[in-house]
Amino acid sequence: MKILRFAAVGVAAALALTACSSGDDTSDQPSDNGTPEAATIKLWLNGTDTPQALRDYLTTTFESENPGSKLVIEEQDWSGLVPRLQTALASEDQTPDVVEIGNTQSPTFTYAGAFADITGMYDELGGDKLLPGFVEAGKADGKLYSVPYYSGARAVFYNKDMFAAAGVEVPTTLADFTTAAQKLQTDTVSGFWFPGQDWYNGAAWIYTNGGDLATYDGGEWKGALASEKSLKGLDEVATLFKTATHAPADSDSNEPWVPFNAGQAAMFSAPTWARWSIDLPQCNKGVAKDDKSDAAKALLAEQQACNEEHTGIFPLPGLTAGEYATGFAGGSNIAVAAKSKHPELAKNLLRIIFSGDFQNQLGQNGLIPGNTEYASSMGDDVYAKAAVAAALNAKLTPAAENWATVEGDRILEDFFQKVASGADVKQAATDADKLITDALN
Amino acid sequence: MAVTTLEVPGDGTTATLRRRRPQLGVYTLLVPASLLMAVALGYPLVRQFVISFQEYGLRQQFGQPAEWVGLANYTDLLSDPYVWTVIGRSIAFCLINAAVTMVIGIAFAVLMARVGAAARMTLQVSLLLAWGTPVLASMTVWQWLFDSQYGAINWVLSNVLGFEGMAHHSWIIQPLSFYFVATVIVVWMSVPFVAFSVYAGLLQVPEETMEAAQLDGASARQRFWNITMPMVRPVLSVVLLLQVIWDLKVFTQIYVLQRAGAPTRDTNLLGTLIYSYAKEFSKAGALATIMLVITLALTGFYIRQMLKEDEL
Repeated sequence: MKILRFAAVGVAAALALTACSSGDDTSDQPSDNGTPEAATIKLWLNGTDTPQALRDYLTTTFESENPGSKLVIEEQDWSGLVPRLQTALASEDQTPDVVEIGNTQSPTFTYAGAFADITGMYDELGGDKLLPGFVEAGKADGKLYSVPYYSGARAVFYNKDMFAAAGVEVPTTLADFTTAAQKLQTDTVSGFWFPGQDWYNGAAWIYTNGGDLATYDGGEWKGALASEKSLKGLDEVATLFKTATHAPADSDSNEPWVPFNAGQAAMFSAPTWARWSIDLPQCNKGVAKDDKSDAAKALLAEQQACNEEHTGIFPLPGLTAGEYATGFAGGSNIAVAAKSKHPELAKNLLRIIFSGDFQNQLGQNGLIPGNTEYASSMGDDVYAKAAVAAALNAKLTPAAENWATVEGDRILEDFFQKVASGADVKQAATDADKLITDALN
Repeated sequence: MAVTTLEVPGDGTTATLRRRRPQLGVYTLLVPASLLMAVALGYPLVRQFVISFQEYGLRQQFGQPAEWVGLANYTDLLSDPYVWTVIGRSIAFCLINAAVTMVIGIAFAVLMARVGAAARMTLQVSLLLAWGTPVLASMTVWQWLFDSQYGAINWVLSNVLGFEGMAHHSWIIQPLSFYFVATVIVVWMSVPFVAFSVYAGLLQVPEETMEAAQLDGASARQRFWNITMPMVRPVLSVVLLLQVIWDLKVFTQIYVLQRAGAPTRDTNLLGTLIYSYAKEFSKAGALATIMLVITLALTGFYIRQMLKEDEL
């Protein structure tokens, strides 16, 4: 038994380590004249965010524009993506040619030299029309390595019936939001579902008040949670935790619609695609999950319409009426692998992705396209409007080389949890700043 | 291997008289095992050791040369009070878990030896199920049990037993209570192994010896402490050794519980701390080497004792 366990661990370690051993030379062969040699290239897309129709469009367009070449799209899981990329991108034989990567994960790889320099393509791909925060996340030492693929913004979902019963209107300022949440709060219902570890949403209060998670100052990154402006936002966060939510301090931002659906929360904040997860009891038609009949589809459409009738959505308001809050933007960037054997073909694929045609298709599927020029393709229903309003104002995590370490160490989860448990905000922020500064430098 | 020491001597004398097989054949038989050890255990160990003296991170993995930094990784780690806190926590967690597991495991083994066939079967099946459930699957169940919002434990405490304050109690947000939950889970998972091993040992205690002692007037308690326990001691020491090793490098249970919402920094043990250095391979290598040294220090005594007993 002992031998077996050891052997199993050993084999796992050996696999991990051999996978780590890197190829020695980079083979970046620029094409000297016109068309690159025909070959098959690989594109890694994460999760199911990119719909099948869009994938088909990419493969057929790529193959018709690059005769003889083929595009293979492989789907990767979001969880465990970073370690998988760490090993795959380092090997010339294994590496995908083009990769999608979470925007906050991008700096880890740009600074390590894992992506090819595409500074020269900036104007061609959209120039200053590209989502600015995402472009910033794709830069290292003044060069551009990854560009925005799509963004998904957060907005607040609310239960219209509870708003009516409590006599609450959709809030127009951030201070109003707190008052509304407090009014909606009862012994069993959270005014606003605000889980203790949910810094993705909490960051909005910091950003909107002009604060930041970390700032670059004098050649060094510093934690900025204890700055005056950040603290102003954090005090409001602490008030919400204390007076307007029953969400446990040990819960995270996953599936906030569960308590909402159970009637235990009047509001929650999530990316706008959460609309498909809302399932209020009074609307549920009891359709079996595997029922694909037309009758079932009709019932589901009816159910969705009912859910959307009872649920409203608004972008988190800003400091003054008519403004929107600066929220945290989720989404991904896209890059060419430095070790790709076919960089020219890979760049041709980028050109297709940033064509107006494809950008519009992203928008039609509810994703905010990387090129803001095409944002109007999202349509004009309330969800699209809320999403675009939130996205244009959104901000990313600091573009520091070691930001992934802050996320890996879960410093912000720990910090927000402390605030949610009622710790002294200033003291907790000072402690967390120290950890962030250590991690970033 | 410990069971052999309980066998009646007598075979040993004939073995030495037996003609020796050709040496070559013996060594050939060793090749597959050594090869597996070298590839699966030796190579990573050497690589880990080498990396721990280098500056080796993501940049190095993408082609930059790895610089030799001597002992810098080790001094960095060992001068960080947080690392020492984690080492202390890990050792305490390991010793407490190993001790609790041993006590409960032995109790179950003795129980199995005493009860009737039907009860023994039930016990064995339930222990085997606990042992056989995949770690992640059972972790999901434990997580649900202790969930602060919808967990069964909080529900029973507040609705059945009347502790109303426990309705939304978070079990994992305070480090001590976190380690309590982790201990419950780790012990639950390791007790079956101890129980079965010790039970096998108990079956080897000769009936005649016990009968003789009974005739001599030894009470049940005396027979247990003065005959049974010394006779199964080799089994106990091997099992304890394994428990100490396993509990020191516990990872999955802690990691999953942390992700369920515990404060990460306050609950890290060595395994999860090493994992958090995922982007600085050199630092992770150095801490893994330190952990190996701690394991050897904790178990060296037992290993020496075991080797001595094997020689007898």
